[in-house]
Amino acid sequence: MSLSTTLPEDAVDAIVVGSGAAGSALAALLAEGGKRVLILEAGPARSASDMVSSTLFARRLKWAGAPVIEEGKNPISHVFNSGYGVGGSAAHHYAVWPRLHEEDFEMHKRYQRGLDWPVSYKELAPYYDRVQREAGVSGDAEKEVWRPPGAPYPMPPVPVFPQGEAIARGFAKVGKKVAPLPLAINTTTYDGRTPCIWDGWCDAGCPIGALANPLAVHLPRAYAANATLVPDTTVTRVLTDASGTRATGVEVVSKDGTKRSLKAGLVVLAAFTVENPRLLLASANDKHPHGLGNSNDLVGRYVMTHLAGVVNGVFNEETRFYMGAFGGQLVNQDSYPKLTHTKNGAFGSYQWIIAQAVKPNDLLGISTSRADLFGADLHAFMKRASRGFATMTAVCEGLPLADNRVTLADKKDERGTPLARVTHNTHAESVALWEASVKEGKEIIEAAGAPEVWNNPPGSMHIMGGTVMGRTRADSVANSFGQLHDIPNLVLAGPGLFPTSGGVNPTFTVHAVTARSAEHLLADWNKIAA
Amino acid sequence: MVPVGVLSLARQIQRIGAGMGFSRRTFVKQGVAGGIGLLTFIVAGCEKKLTPAEARTAGVPFRTLEAAHVRTLDALGDVLLPGSAAAGLAHLIDHQLSGPPGDSMLMIKYLGLNPPFTDFYKGGLAGTESAAQMQFMKPFGELAPQDANTLVAAMAKGDLPGWSGPPPPLFFFVLRNDAVDATYGTPSGFERLSVPYMAHIAPPTRWGA
Repeated sequence: MSLSTTLPEDAVDAIVVGSGAAGSALAALLAEGGKRVLILEAGPARSASDMVSSTLFARRLKWAGAPVIEEGKNPISHVFNSGYGVGGSAAHHYAVWPRLHEEDFEMHKRYQRGLDWPVSYKELAPYYDRVQREAGVSGDAEKEVWRPPGAPYPMPPVPVFPQGEAIARGFAKVGKKVAPLPLAINTTTYDGRTPCIWDGWCDAGCPIGALANPLAVHLPRAYAANATLVPDTTVTRVLTDASGTRATGVEVVSKDGTKRSLKAGLVVLAAFTVENPRLLLASANDKHPHGLGNSNDLVGRYVMTHLAGVVNGVFNEETRFYMGAFGGQLVNQDSYPKLTHTKNGAFGSYQWIIAQAVKPNDLLGISTSRADLFGADLHAFMKRASRGFATMTAVCEGLPLADNRVTLADKKDERGTPLARVTHNTHAESVALWEASVKEGKEIIEAAGAPEVWNNPPGSMHIMGGTVMGRTRADSVANSFGQLHDIPNLVLAGPGLFPTSGGVNPTFTVHAVTARSAEHLLADWNKIAA
Repeated sequence: MVPVGVLSLARQIQRIGAGMGFSRRTFVKQGVAGGIGLLTFIVAGCEKKLTPAEARTAGVPFRTLEAAHVRTLDALGDVLLPGSAAAGLAHLIDHQLSGPPGDSMLMIKYLGLNPPFTDFYKGGLAGTESAAQMQFMKPFGELAPQDANTLVAAMAKGDLPGWSGPPPPLFFFVLRNDAVDATYGTPSGFERLSVPYMAHIAPPTRWGA
């Protein structure tokens, strides 16, 4: 089985809504566990040949489903930060795969801020190890002195190009360390997949399978285990039985407008951070009048993003900024301890991801970094920067706030489902953290010798929370395996489960949490999904 | 999934400084044509694969934009990034506005605005003309270079009497980046900057199909 245009007539063991990082991984693991799995993807089919090396074509991989209404001082930038089509957001993700730290799981216990996870780092560590072994991660665990305990990486680290060397000089001058950035990108042939050629087109999707995205890793595994994926099929409701305690399937609308109900023993929502709560809220019924899993008004709450502290410089030397991975070459986590910058009113963690591969145009391109320039000044800047441009990004923790949430708007999409409204205002301590990061970043780039240094305004990256996991229904929507407290055979997957964001990119943790969930679901299948 | 607060960027633009002196004429004279891949245009009832610059030279009819829009767009594009009109900025935008919004390759789709985007562009172009009339009593395309420059700088700051349409800084941000896309976002645009393109899969011979 593989891609199909035909929906099954009979019940399947599991329906997985969404084919991104979480959905494809959970589908593969359940199918390999002998379950009959149907993956439903709202967007179009994608293949490696769709990953055209063009910043303009890359925009076709981004969200193109029902519009999301964004409100608040710090919009989540949903279209840019979400994907559409087979592979989901992970089809264009940059594969920066650091681990969360131990303190990220105990934020409230240790610091009386935010929420605690219902699982510890120690419990999750074996799943990080397993995922990095299966998907392939490059790095140098010894040089990552900040890294929590775990197995060494299965591949040697990524190469460092002149941009990385130039910025590393600045870190050394201010007494800070750098290490190779852990990337789920092949530095050697791995599990039959080719190594990267470091041409910096990750944002447009990797067509050679060097980057561990769903098209390269988990969907082939799912297909090999007889899972079926039907694209262009939008789930509009999750159905429950009369008692409201069990999910029975989903309602879908196909591309031609045909409506169907599909049955399954287990329903997994892996439709990303906004669509998951939207679906739960839109599936309200007489037993769940405020939405599925929403008996305590928690569905949609605690939406978080990282604030990106982007600092740029133009060096006199040639930096070959176009070489490498889009996610970067090096990492520094000296500012990971939560109290590092408290004297500035800041709280939380950040890491520097250093020396991202850059293109001349696009939102993360050279031109947009100086959005104030136009005319001859812009041409002159482009010419100057095209020799010595360099950049790095602080991934700044966004503290969870209950009022940052997904709700349903009055306006509906073409299928009659209410649109999602997302309100997001970054916590003041997180804004202060961003300010501290760009101040430090500019000092580092200046120390490296760049005569021209500046920073971008704060921007949102990585969308998390909204359907947080926890120990009880009083403080969370789901348990540590993603099962709704109210409906145990309705499972959530993806970064929406995160109770805190930490200061690292989320996809590796998404995979670790998903692998742990799959193991639990298979072990207790008869109890959960029969 | 990395970032950038595009709305924050638009707000930053409001703080733009003055003093944008430039030699617009020099750039137009030098020209930057040939900087984009091929798109499928309808010429005399037949599909032809042309660059936007070639489409402009061939006088390919516009499908969404009207003649007045194109005049403003050409003039505004050459203030934002001299040479972008010759690079086919208007044909690129018209081509993308004429297709399904979900397939759009315009950067506007990142900015939290709901498609279709045609009203945004038409509204911004109309706003540009109304501001030119109010301040200089001339169409934007007939302004002296210094006056056009002054008006665009005011657009970036959001300080533009006579404006109607989308927020001026946002329109500035969008059009400026479209001009960059048309000029530098392509293999030949990279080449002009001496940046190796290094495609895994080169942009195909048709765009937007």
